[in-house]
Amino acid sequence: MSKEIKFESPTLAKRIKGMLGVDFYRLFHTPLFYIFLAIAAIIPAMVSGMTALPDPNGNMTALYSNVWQIIATNEPLYVVREIADYANMNMVFIFGGIMVSIFIGHDYKSGYVKQLFTTHAKKQDYMISKSLVCAFAMACMCITYFIGGTVAGLLVKYDTEVNVPALIFAIAGKMVMSLGWASLYTFLNVIFRRYFGVSIFSSFFFGTGILIIGAAAILEGLGLPGWILNVFLYGSSVNASLASNLGTFILCAIISVAWAFEYNLLGTMILDKCDVY
Amino acid sequence: MNAVEIKNLSKNFGEKQAVCSLNMSVPMGAIYGFIGENGSGKSTTEKMICGLIPKSGGSIKLYGKDYIDESVRASMGVLIEAPGCYPSLTVWDNMMLQAHNLSISNPEKEVISVLKKVRMEGAAGNKYKNCSLGMKQRVGIAMALLGNPTLLVLDEPLNGLDADGMRIMREVFKDIVRDGTRSIIVSSHLLGELQKVATHYGIIRHGKMICEMTAEELDKSCRCFVALKAEEMGKAKALLEDKYLKVVKDEAEYIRVYDSVTPEEIVSYLYNHGVCVTEIQTDKIGLEEYYIDLMKEGK
Repeated sequence: MSKEIKFESPTLAKRIKGMLGVDFYRLFHTPLFYIFLAIAAIIPAMVSGMTALPDPNGNMTALYSNVWQIIATNEPLYVVREIADYANMNMVFIFGGIMVSIFIGHDYKSGYVKQLFTTHAKKQDYMISKSLVCAFAMACMCITYFIGGTVAGLLVKYDTEVNVPALIFAIAGKMVMSLGWASLYTFLNVIFRRYFGVSIFSSFFFGTGILIIGAAAILEGLGLPGWILNVFLYGSSVNASLASNLGTFILCAIISVAWAFEYNLLGTMILDKCDVY
Repeated sequence: MNAVEIKNLSKNFGEKQAVCSLNMSVPMGAIYGFIGENGSGKSTTEKMICGLIPKSGGSIKLYGKDYIDESVRASMGVLIEAPGCYPSLTVWDNMMLQAHNLSISNPEKEVISVLKKVRMEGAAGNKYKNCSLGMKQRVGIAMALLGNPTLLVLDEPLNGLDADGMRIMREVFKDIVRDGTRSIIVSSHLLGELQKVATHYGIIRHGKMICEMTAEELDKSCRCFVALKAEEMGKAKALLEDKYLKVVKDEAEYIRVYDSVTPEEIVSYLYNHGVCVTEIQTDKIGLEEYYIDLMKEGK
């Protein structure tokens, strides 16, 4: 008599729960996450509270005058006008990119990815889980960034005048954009999974906008409409400014989800076709 | 139904064909010793079974289902090449990660139970990177055992294990397949150890399966020989070479006669030619020698 053996097909929810369990457990049990939370708090504090530039008379004057300048620009800016516009909460997406590269890179360096891909036949599980966990980490970094930047600004007694709802929508907009950026970085790390250094550099270049500015210049030269650039390149994070409103927040949320969908799909396609280990 | 049924499997890396029309059958309840030289395609085949690399052609069925079926894959345990563990995490944390990965309902209890099986419960708090090679191997096996997998794929699991570790693993492997449904594919270069547990064998060469057999079939195929020592070894060997077809001196300085002959006949023959035999016994070649012979024949 032949022996019977029954296999239970795991549901999407069960599969994702398992994968998220792994990623969250690792996130909270390794120093990486906490180090980046600290970096996300210290850098804006230093930039906001300690940066000064010489004026025409040679006197050093503080770069910022308002506490909330370090959080977001006064209006959506695709190209910065002043040196102070460089530093805002979008910096979290630079730190986050490096953190995602290290987080995902360790999956491959340690070989743990073998366990994940053996027991999870569907590669989309990996993309979804990494994107969600890294988005969570970046959203947390947005909070520590806010705390660090605000405390430093208050300590040096900058002006505190702000449109509070706009500030809240700006921060919420940046936080929801974390999902889009985390998906982009996960995708980049899937492409460069065998080259740890390259994946870190690629995340850094995308995060700082160096590659994006170049790509945008080419696309603008081709005369493509602005929404294409917004959806595929800028991620709308620039829209989350101190002039934000509910509409801006919804736009950020929609584009973030669109990015997540687009990059998760592309990442899954790559993983399905390539050697994963 | 077989646990693993592979037909005409192939894998190309660019121009290079790593696996070529490979057929393989692993029955349920088998401990399948997967043997081959370095670069013969063992690990590549195992990686394809585990879905880590896509196949270029052929089919892989696991318990009658396609190898990408998520239900059967969720019930696999693997140790490919080296244990996949995060070095900066402790053994316990690494085990817990895998327990989460498999969505085990009571992870702490299961992790303790598996660590006890491989005698690693005392080292659970050690960082993985500080473990010795043998300990790391035990952790890798423990990870593969989590969640009671139906199919285990273990690539060189015995590497770095001490004698006690190997004995424990033999017990663990035998215990796993006891119910007759779960199966293990083990590739190892430690053929003597493998022979102690394997119920089936597959020998791969240049990406092709050159033979598959059960342990009983191997036993029948392994040639018997008479091993002896005599007072005048040189003269004894010369006399035996005159009369028999295959006579060799082994590493332990015994003369081996592989022809179909009894010890009594040899003793009598040498005695009649003035050579006194001091020691004589019949024996059988092991898996290692069988494998080496097979490889030589292939060359």
